[in-house]
Amino acid sequence: MRPLGREPFSVAVVSGKGGTGKTSFSASLALSGQPVAAVDADVEEPNLALLLGDPVLATMNVSLPVPAVDTERCTRCGTCSRTCRFGAVFSFGKAVPVFNDLCHGCGACVLACPEKALYEVERPVGFVGRGNANGIIVVEGRLLVGMPNPVPVIGRTVELGLAEGLDTVIDSPPGAACPMVAAVRKARAVILVTEPTPFGRADAEVVAQVLREMGKPAALVVNRSGILEEAPPFEGVLGTLPVLARLPFSRAVAEGAARGIPPTEVDSSWKEAAGAAWEWARRVAK
Amino acid sequence: MSLREIVVVSGKGGTGKTTLTSVLARALSGNAVLCDADVDVPDLWILLKPSVHSEEEFVGGNKAALLRPPCDDCGLCVPVCRFGALSSENGRVILDRSRCEGCGACTLLCPRGAFSLSPAVQGRIYGSETDFGPFWHARLVPGGENSGRLVQLLREKARASALEQGKSWILVDGPPGIACPAISAMTGCSIALAVTEPSKSGLHDLKRLGELAKRFRVPMAVVLNRSDLSAEGARAVRQACREAGWPLVAEIPFLVGVVEDLARARIPEAIPPETVRRVLEGIDGLVVRR
Repeated sequence: MRPLGREPFSVAVVSGKGGTGKTSFSASLALSGQPVAAVDADVEEPNLALLLGDPVLATMNVSLPVPAVDTERCTRCGTCSRTCRFGAVFSFGKAVPVFNDLCHGCGACVLACPEKALYEVERPVGFVGRGNANGIIVVEGRLLVGMPNPVPVIGRTVELGLAEGLDTVIDSPPGAACPMVAAVRKARAVILVTEPTPFGRADAEVVAQVLREMGKPAALVVNRSGILEEAPPFEGVLGTLPVLARLPFSRAVAEGAARGIPPTEVDSSWKEAAGAAWEWARRVAK
Repeated sequence: MSLREIVVVSGKGGTGKTTLTSVLARALSGNAVLCDADVDVPDLWILLKPSVHSEEEFVGGNKAALLRPPCDDCGLCVPVCRFGALSSENGRVILDRSRCEGCGACTLLCPRGAFSLSPAVQGRIYGSETDFGPFWHARLVPGGENSGRLVQLLREKARASALEQGKSWILVDGPPGIACPAISAMTGCSIALAVTEPSKSGLHDLKRLGELAKRFRVPMAVVLNRSDLSAEGARAVRQACREAGWPLVAEIPFLVGVVEDLARARIPEAIPPETVRRVLEGIDGLVVRR
């Protein structure tokens, strides 16, 4: 589908602070760069598909290898519970060990068990859905409610999205911690959507520092600009990033997004911004 | 009077958690201990303007280190690491500490004992004073492990302050999402106050949050923020609240004054005191009924 002679590339959209317009901008990118795969790596709260026409998704499970115990072999020695660094194994007197949701699926307890009484079974922690929204391939990760660790689901979602072999937009989780890092790890370029408020700035600065440490090319899209006329310039690592677009504060865009209408259909400046972002990403992702 | 702990959550980010927490903090002034459980990108300090009186390191989990010698690059460890922290390039074993989750599987396996595991500083914890009461907050190192444990520690400290100083409320600004930090912030609270907006995504995320609250047996009440953004969306949120039995304790319209105050790092004046009172009365009733 893609032009010959060009490798597909991936651009991740991050923000630090939630609600700055990550998902709206991801949808805008997806809608102005076909053929693309639109990957929703915000697996705790996946919302990208809602802005792309809410296509029907076919799903597959994401699971984690978690321990199970052969009660015949288990001598209740307690090695497994002492080995686990995550508090996921309880062993108590004469009872067989019990495993909980804190398990990272590392396999250390299985390695440590002197009786070879532990083995691994697959436990579902989330799923990945795939669908087609008018030519855009939507790949959405979804963490099961109650599961503490989104990282395995994020990793699998991005992997499956990239396997489509198309240019890929990755809508990332908020924050700057391990979920965000997992979402951008394989991206060739990163767009940081922020707003010129003290909150937007503080949070985006943390993300910018992480991206610099990871060696990811990054650029800013400033949403809701013009809230304050006297807004000071960006400082710190943020101040070193190119600004690709400034999008006006717009109630119409927010109203549209509330109803599932992508901003590109409401405000032409989003279309232009998405175009500028693709161009920048193609340039730096060489 | 017993101690009541409110956690303000949202699922979706940017719905107004920190805004609501700040106006509640002002309303409860002198009676509450405040806590920011968004340790990844904390923002409540921007509005509360704390003066920090204590600071300590947060040691969260371990990281592996590879010692060479005794490592002889045998590569046995590479397939054992489930987190992709170990790889082999040109016959040389490489450890990427940023991917290490500190499980210790490599230390168990290595025949030469080349790995060591040591605690890693993952953030800082701050004890502060504000105009409205004591304030506990923290900051994870950039890109740090998303630590439920850090949230748990903050809540323990807030609780200790509240008991020591005879405060009747703990007010926690929660993290977005539904994973470990959100679970840590919600577990055992008197009530989760969910801030949502009348959008498809707001509603979608609210429902997931409701499932989480139910699973951890925390009663949940809802505040609908920017309620006039979509009449259709607002109806859908009201209906979802009715069906699930979540009391909708207040609706706050979109107020330009709030946006401007926040942009100037000020606690919004535009949210009417009656609204704040309604929220507090609404939750109070729920906590007592519990």
